[in-house]
Amino acid sequence: MRPVALVLVLLAAVAAGLLYGQEAVSVAMLWDGILTGEGPGALMIDTFRGPRVATAVGAGAVLGMSGALFQTLFRNPLAAPDVMGFTSGAGLAVVAATAFGLTLPMPLIAAVGGLLAGLLVALLAYRPGHSTPPLTLILVGLGVAFFTSALSTFLMTLLPYNEAAEAQRWLTGSLAARDWSHVAQVWILGTLLGAAALVQARRLEVLELGEDLAAGLGLKVEQARWGISATGVLLAATGVAVAGPVPFVALMSGPLGARITCAKSGTGRMLSAAGAGAVVLVLSDLAARAALPGIVLPAGVMTGILGAPYLLWRLSREMERGKL
Amino acid sequence: MRVVWVAVVFAVVVLASLTIGERSLPPQVYLDALFNYDPRDPAHVTLLAIRIPRLVAGLIAGAALGLAGTVMQAVTRNPLADPGILGVNAGAAFALLLGTTLLGRADEAIVAILAFPGAALASAAVFALGGGLRGDAGPVRLTLAGAALNALLLSLVTAIVLVRQESLEVFRFWVAGSLTQATTRPLPEMALVAALGGILALLIAPRVEALALGSALSRGLGTRPGRVQAGALTVVTLTTGAAVAVAGPIAFLGLMVPPLARLVVGHNLRKELAVAALLGAALLIFADTLGRILLAPQEIRAGIMTALIGGPVFLWIARQVRPGASS
Repeated sequence: MRPVALVLVLLAAVAAGLLYGQEAVSVAMLWDGILTGEGPGALMIDTFRGPRVATAVGAGAVLGMSGALFQTLFRNPLAAPDVMGFTSGAGLAVVAATAFGLTLPMPLIAAVGGLLAGLLVALLAYRPGHSTPPLTLILVGLGVAFFTSALSTFLMTLLPYNEAAEAQRWLTGSLAARDWSHVAQVWILGTLLGAAALVQARRLEVLELGEDLAAGLGLKVEQARWGISATGVLLAATGVAVAGPVPFVALMSGPLGARITCAKSGTGRMLSAAGAGAVVLVLSDLAARAALPGIVLPAGVMTGILGAPYLLWRLSREMERGKL
Repeated sequence: MRVVWVAVVFAVVVLASLTIGERSLPPQVYLDALFNYDPRDPAHVTLLAIRIPRLVAGLIAGAALGLAGTVMQAVTRNPLADPGILGVNAGAAFALLLGTTLLGRADEAIVAILAFPGAALASAAVFALGGGLRGDAGPVRLTLAGAALNALLLSLVTAIVLVRQESLEVFRFWVAGSLTQATTRPLPEMALVAALGGILALLIAPRVEALALGSALSRGLGTRPGRVQAGALTVVTLTTGAAVAVAGPIAFLGLMVPPLARLVVGHNLRKELAVAALLGAALLIFADTLGRILLAPQEIRAGIMTALIGGPVFLWIARQVRPGASS
C-alpha cells in the first residue's frame, strides 16, 4: 500500500469521528454546518466533536511518532514509551502537581515527569563497562512504570474524593471535554517537536546500522542517542498532556503505519507512525464514546483493550524469531 | 539460626500490628480481652472486632502470596514472577468484581469462590502466552505478557466501573488490595483453601526442583513435566485466589519473599516454601501497619504499600537479570 492509503484512512477516521457518537449527525447536516456556521452540524464541529477529534489526531500523532523513534533507536518493536514507563512518569507528574496544588502549564509538568522517568530508566539500566541490551531497558522501564503507577495510586488517596475520581479518569487516558486551546497546544508543540524528530531522521537511520558502523561514519553516537531519546520523551509528554497516558498507542502505531505505507526511510516511517497513531486514537475514542448508549467511556479503555492483545501477539512473534 | 531470626521478626511484626493504631492498646488489654472479654469496653471491642480479624486476614493473604510467588518463580525459573506482576491477582479480582456486579450484593462467601476460576484462567493464560510453562522463556516475555494481561483487565474494569457508575471505592479495591474489609471476608474458608494450596506445594516441591534441572533430565528422573506444571498452576490458583478473596490484589509480595526465603534456608524448595509463608505474612502485616501510621489518621492501603516497597525491589532484580532466552 501507499502513503495515500494512510491519508485516506485518516480522513475517513476523522469524518467518522465527527459524524458518529452518542448521536449521529448526517453528512448533510455536517456539511451545512461547515458552510453556514449554524445548526447542529456547526455545534458539533465548533464545540463537541471538533476539538475532541482534532486533539485526538494531534495526540495520537505525537505518541505514534514517539513510539517509532524509540522502536527504531533500540531496534525493538517492544521498546515504546508506554511500555517503558515514560508516559506513566508524565502521568505521575500531573497527578502530583494536582495533589500538591502546583499551577504550572500541563505540558511542562508532563514533560518534566516524562524526562525524569526516562533518565531514571537510563540510569538504572546503565552498568559501567557493559553495553545495555534493549531488553534490559524494557525490563527496567516496566519496573519504573509499575513504580510510578503505584505512586500515582498512592497520591490519589491523598486527594479529596471528587478530585481523585477526576484524576482516575485522567490517568486512564481520556479526550472528554477538550477545547480548542488543547488543540492549539498539541498541534503547535507537536509540529515543533515533530520537525525536531524529522531533522534527526538521518542520524537515526545511521544508528540503525549499528553503533560501530555509525561511529565509523562519523556520527557522535552518544550525543545522537540522547538527542533522539529526549525528542521522543518530549513528544510522548506532549500527547500525555492533552490526552492523559493512553496505553499502547505508541506501541501499536509504528508497525501499523509502516505496514500501511510500506515506508522504508526514517522520515517515512516516522510520518507513517504519526498518521497511524492519529487513526488509532481517533477510532479508539470514537469506539469508546459510541459503543454503549448513554455511557461515554474514556478513550484509554479502548486502546487498552486493543493494545493488550496486540502486545501479546507481538510477544509470541518475537518469541518465534528467537529474540525473547 | 537464620530461621530463628525470621520467627523473631514475625513475632515483633504481629505484636506491633496489634498494638499500633489510632488507639494504642497496652499489652495487658490483650490478655484481658482474650480471657475476660467485656463487650462494653471499647478497647476489647477494637481488638476482637477490628484488629484481630485484620491480623488474621494479613496472615492468610501474606502467607498465601508468599507461597504463590515461590512456586511461580521455581516453576518458571524467573526471578520476576509474582501473582501481581503476571496478572493472576488481576484475574481473580476481575472475577470477583464481575461477580459482585452481576449478582448484585451477593453473599460474600459465594462471590469469593469466583476468585478461583478467575485466578485459574489468568494464570493459565499468562503462562501459555508468556511461554512460562516451557521454562525457557526469557523474563522479559513473561513479564510483558503479565503487563498486557494487567492492562487488558484494567481497561475492562474501568469500563465496568464507569458503566455501572460505581464509586471510586470499587475501583480502588480493584487496583490495590487492603485488609480493612477483613471482618466481611470469609476468613476460615479461605485459610483452609490457602492451607490446601500450601500442602500441595510441599508435595510437588521435589518434582518442581527436578523440573528446574531441565525437561530432558527431569524426564530421565521420572518426572512428568505436564503434571508438575498442572500441580504448580493449581497451587498458584488456590493460594492467589484465597489471598485476593481475603484482601484484594496485593502486588509484589510474591516477588520479594522468595529471594528472602532463599537467603534464610538456601536452595531447598520445601524449606523455602515454609519460610516464604512466614515471611509473606510478616511482610504484609508490616506493610499494613506502616500504612496505618504513615499518614495517620488516613490509611494507605496495604496493596499500595507493598507496591511502593516492591517497585524498587523489582528494579533491583531487573538490573541483574540477563534478558533474552535463558537457555
